[in-house]
Amino acid sequence: MANGGDSLRMKQRTISGGALNEAALPARVAVPGLRARSESPVEQAIRRLRKSTTAVIGAVIVIGLILVALFADVLAPQSPIVSDQAQTFARPSAEHPLGTDQLGRDMLSRVIHGSRVSLAVGVSSVVLALFVGVPLGLIAGYVGGRADSVVMRVMDLILAFPVYLLAIIIMIMFTPTAGLLGTIKVVGAIAIVRVPIYARLVRGSVLSIKEKEFIEACRALGVRDPMIILRHVLPNCLAPIIVTTTLGIATAIIVEATLSFLGLGTQPPTPSWGWDLKANVAFIQANAWLSLFPGLAIFVTVLGFNLFGDGLRDALDPRLK
Amino acid sequence: MNRRPFLFALTALVVSLVLVSGSALAQTPKRGGTLRVSYGNEIAHLDFHTAPGYEMMWVAMNVGCGLVNITPDGKFVGDAADSWQVSSDHLTYTFKLRPNVLFHDGTPVDAAAVKFSIDRLRDPATKSGMRTFYDPVHSVEVLDPRTVQVRLKQPYGFFLHMLAAYRTGLILYSPTATQKFSVDDRKQGKPGAVVGCGPFRLIEWVKGGHLVMERFDKYFVPGLPYLDRVVIRTIKDPVTEMAAFKAGEIDFIASFSPEHVDTLKAQTPNSVIMTGKETTPMKAAMKVTVPKDGKPMSKERAPHPIFGDLRVRKAIGCYGIDRNEIVKIAFKGKATAWVGMNPPGTLDTVDVNGMCPYDPAKAKAMLAEVGYGPSKPLTFEIMADTEKSVFNVIATVVKEQMARLGVTANIRLVDKVSWMNTSLQDGPWDMYVEDLLSLLTLDSNAYLSNTTSSWSHERHNDKRVDEFYARYAREIDPVKRKAIAKEIQEFFVENMYWNNISGSPFYMVAQPWMKGYTYNAEFEVHYHRVWLDK
Amino acid sequence: MRIYILKRLLQMVPTILMITFVVFLMMQSIPGDPVVALLGDAYTDEDAVKIRQAYGLDKPVLVQYLIWLGKLVQGDWGASILTGRPVLQDVLVRLPVTMELIVLSMGVALVIAIPAAIIGALRQNTWPDYTATSVAMIGVSIPEFFVGVLLLLAFSFGLNGILPSSGWVYLPGTCPNMVCGVSLWGNVQHVLMPAFALGIGRAAILTRLLRASMLEVIRTEYVTTARAKGLSERPVVFKHALKNALIPTVTVMGLQVGFLIGGAIVIETLFAMPGLGTFGIDAIIARDYQQVQGFALITALSFVIINLLVDLAYTFLDPRIRYA
Repeated sequence: MANGGDSLRMKQRTISGGALNEAALPARVAVPGLRARSESPVEQAIRRLRKSTTAVIGAVIVIGLILVALFADVLAPQSPIVSDQAQTFARPSAEHPLGTDQLGRDMLSRVIHGSRVSLAVGVSSVVLALFVGVPLGLIAGYVGGRADSVVMRVMDLILAFPVYLLAIIIMIMFTPTAGLLGTIKVVGAIAIVRVPIYARLVRGSVLSIKEKEFIEACRALGVRDPMIILRHVLPNCLAPIIVTTTLGIATAIIVEATLSFLGLGTQPPTPSWGWDLKANVAFIQANAWLSLFPGLAIFVTVLGFNLFGDGLRDALDPRLK
Repeated sequence: MNRRPFLFALTALVVSLVLVSGSALAQTPKRGGTLRVSYGNEIAHLDFHTAPGYEMMWVAMNVGCGLVNITPDGKFVGDAADSWQVSSDHLTYTFKLRPNVLFHDGTPVDAAAVKFSIDRLRDPATKSGMRTFYDPVHSVEVLDPRTVQVRLKQPYGFFLHMLAAYRTGLILYSPTATQKFSVDDRKQGKPGAVVGCGPFRLIEWVKGGHLVMERFDKYFVPGLPYLDRVVIRTIKDPVTEMAAFKAGEIDFIASFSPEHVDTLKAQTPNSVIMTGKETTPMKAAMKVTVPKDGKPMSKERAPHPIFGDLRVRKAIGCYGIDRNEIVKIAFKGKATAWVGMNPPGTLDTVDVNGMCPYDPAKAKAMLAEVGYGPSKPLTFEIMADTEKSVFNVIATVVKEQMARLGVTANIRLVDKVSWMNTSLQDGPWDMYVEDLLSLLTLDSNAYLSNTTSSWSHERHNDKRVDEFYARYAREIDPVKRKAIAKEIQEFFVENMYWNNISGSPFYMVAQPWMKGYTYNAEFEVHYHRVWLDK
Repeated sequence: MRIYILKRLLQMVPTILMITFVVFLMMQSIPGDPVVALLGDAYTDEDAVKIRQAYGLDKPVLVQYLIWLGKLVQGDWGASILTGRPVLQDVLVRLPVTMELIVLSMGVALVIAIPAAIIGALRQNTWPDYTATSVAMIGVSIPEFFVGVLLLLAFSFGLNGILPSSGWVYLPGTCPNMVCGVSLWGNVQHVLMPAFALGIGRAAILTRLLRASMLEVIRTEYVTTARAKGLSERPVVFKHALKNALIPTVTVMGLQVGFLIGGAIVIETLFAMPGLGTFGIDAIIARDYQQVQGFALITALSFVIINLLVDLAYTFLDPRIRYA
């Protein structure tokens, strides 16, 4: 942020006051009339993003996924839950490009609609974790003392839990229900295990900022604490939060799929990639595509988020490359 | 003399001799080898008198022995008992035991052991699931070391059936071993604690791993069993099971998922697939009453808000469900659409399909009569457990069919333990899809539908059901019994206390080199005559 | 050093207590209990009440937990309500299988990650680097069970089933039962696909991390100094860069154990392996409280002990780090 601007200004000074003569300068710098202007951090980030192939591919996939999820009703040729009892296990054809499953449901439509669940669960669990974890981390870091140790103890406890043990028990704890309630349950279960990650992240950032002198200066100037947090502390951790969030969505989607594979995640008839994969593994010898396509969908989605997250990380903080 | 006919006759004689001896040789069982069996579910535990589940039963039948067994065509053959006599008033059964039957710990299987075992099963403290079936027993007496007499309180037409094959049938416990070891010792299969009189001794049970049985050298049938060993593994996933079978790692699958039979047949064309008329009912039960005060198992009942009304039960269960469609989709046509409570393969079964033809128009009309319609739509919940994926498939098809009637059915998937808790403990549910247990006779269903039984999930509270069962059990004449059975099944359909969908098919799969196994549905699984032709 | 280890072991205790208590609490909140499954066909209300009393299931949760704890410090992990089997015995029988799976998975991960990371770091931003990073990216994005399914499809159902799809054969000498299949080759056959399925995801994460750490180390001055001193490329890379890059990697490996245990649950279920993963999930579903406690305990213990080992490994990797 402040760094980028500084280095550019430094470059300017070197060029104008340095020992190099114009002839030795690279052509593009020597072009007359070109005024160097400082880029804002955001513009810098976007420029780097655009240059990175991985980020671009990732972004394309993610945006594509969001579009598919939003327009699933329009894109899907048929309903994903209505069964055509006469056409079970149909092979891929013009009418059913991905065939039909045991209940005669169109697989393509199910895969398309499955994106909604995966995206919804992935995003909401991470957002929920954010809303719980960030304030916790801020409090722990800023207030320090008792609050800090209590919060961190709880975070450590959650982190020490094997992810799946926690999720599995939570899933069974509340009687499985289909539809919205079931999805909320999955979201909560996944979110809980992600909270400590954000809490720790934010707390670390807060701690490193707290010592900086300009915070003391702000305080001396009479700026109130919440303002300090909002204007100085939070922006500092924004970059890692964004990166962790994007990568977190990828992990959340995998966890949801795994829970569904164990039979504990999203319940039917809500179309879910993990569930479809599991349900159709049983028929994998005769109808392999029924489980392969949901699996591929999961893979591509997670890949997209991972690529984009990686690209974001590189763009927002090139030192980490 | 012309030698040709003579030569011809001689050749024919020699050839036929060779053929006959050849086929006789092929029939001679080979001794030795290990039979590798695969189960689709875990064995609960090894205290045979109290453990639930088929998997345990099929072990019990080989490690333990009883008084009698039943053949696939319904005849009784002696197990530890050599012969038996029934008094003319059908109240006294006298069993004569074979002289050379021993428990695996060396103690004799004598009349005292039989008395001990039956008394133990009747004792409420044992908490055996078989106890209700011993209600008709008045007393057991030892007449001499080889003769035991059972006196009944009233005639019980299915006493021998019950001893032979209700669940495990009667499994004889050795008094010495039972007193020496605790229930927990037996449950976990501690070496020496699980003692029976069957052809195989229990060597080891590692839950989640394997169960190993070895030939008992002093088995009372000389020469049997042929096998040295039987090793049972649990493979829950049918696809994995199929792969192991194809690779020749398993010789026998004790209960194979019907949905995958076609795939298995295609993969291993030489496999021997055994099945028969279904002996297990698949039902879509509807709850009839709920506790009036909200307390589970309360004696005060109120009708279920939806299915308490007979008209709704009939509309939904009788006319609103297309059983043929369900069979086609869920079982690929491999089951029988069946309205009667008694499955097609069970004794005294009756085809009452005509009483409930698929008639959506009639169903709609009946619902309208009760007040349901577009202005007051009917919504209910179908509970299906995850033990078998077919339950969910059936529930989904039912949901579809309900939609055609303008009725909304939501599916609630639960795991088996949750299902048991909810249904057994009078929890909240509207309809569930399950296939419960196999029925040797209609009498064995009494515990599932008597008003007094916890397992009567519908909680219909109709005492007439109890009277029917009692009459049926007391009737000795098979013809009159069949008539009563018909009455019972029609009664159940008329009142929709038991909403049956179809039979639940049962498959066993064997490698072509496994010989000597007699298929008798879920009731009798015996390895003592099995031999491996390789 | 010994004092440090002791201190760490003591610090373990509250963590383990908390984990086991939370698991206990959660299991008790699950609707339904094992008594119904235990009684099965013989279920009656009165018997259910009596059994609950006999097993102490009707006492308050805290009391039950303390009873469990009391038995635990005497070395008694309790016995399963459903099967009567001592929990410790079951855990010990299953532990080697899961341990082998986890260790081999980590091995697979390292075998893939180290060369890939070295290639990536040394030939940064060239085609080999891109390939390695892409493969790593793919590995991270595939759910483990999907890899398992694909492997099964390829090697068990296809290719004439050269690899077995389920079960377990023990290594010679490690049979915990009276009867086992025992053979080295058999063991390898059975563990190959599961270890690969579980390890590939970890390999991806490790590759990225190791590569990034190595790059960082390579850029630091002291490596440049070493180069300036005239040391050739390879010793520089291996001795200095790799060793130091391993430190954050080893940390991550320690943290990965949690994911590995979770992944083991899924992979063991898929490949029907008699390990702790199937033990745990079967116990949870069956509401076998004692077994679940045993599972939670061994999981927490493994996690904590492995992290301790990781910290100790630091002293080996980086002589600058010493614990008082």
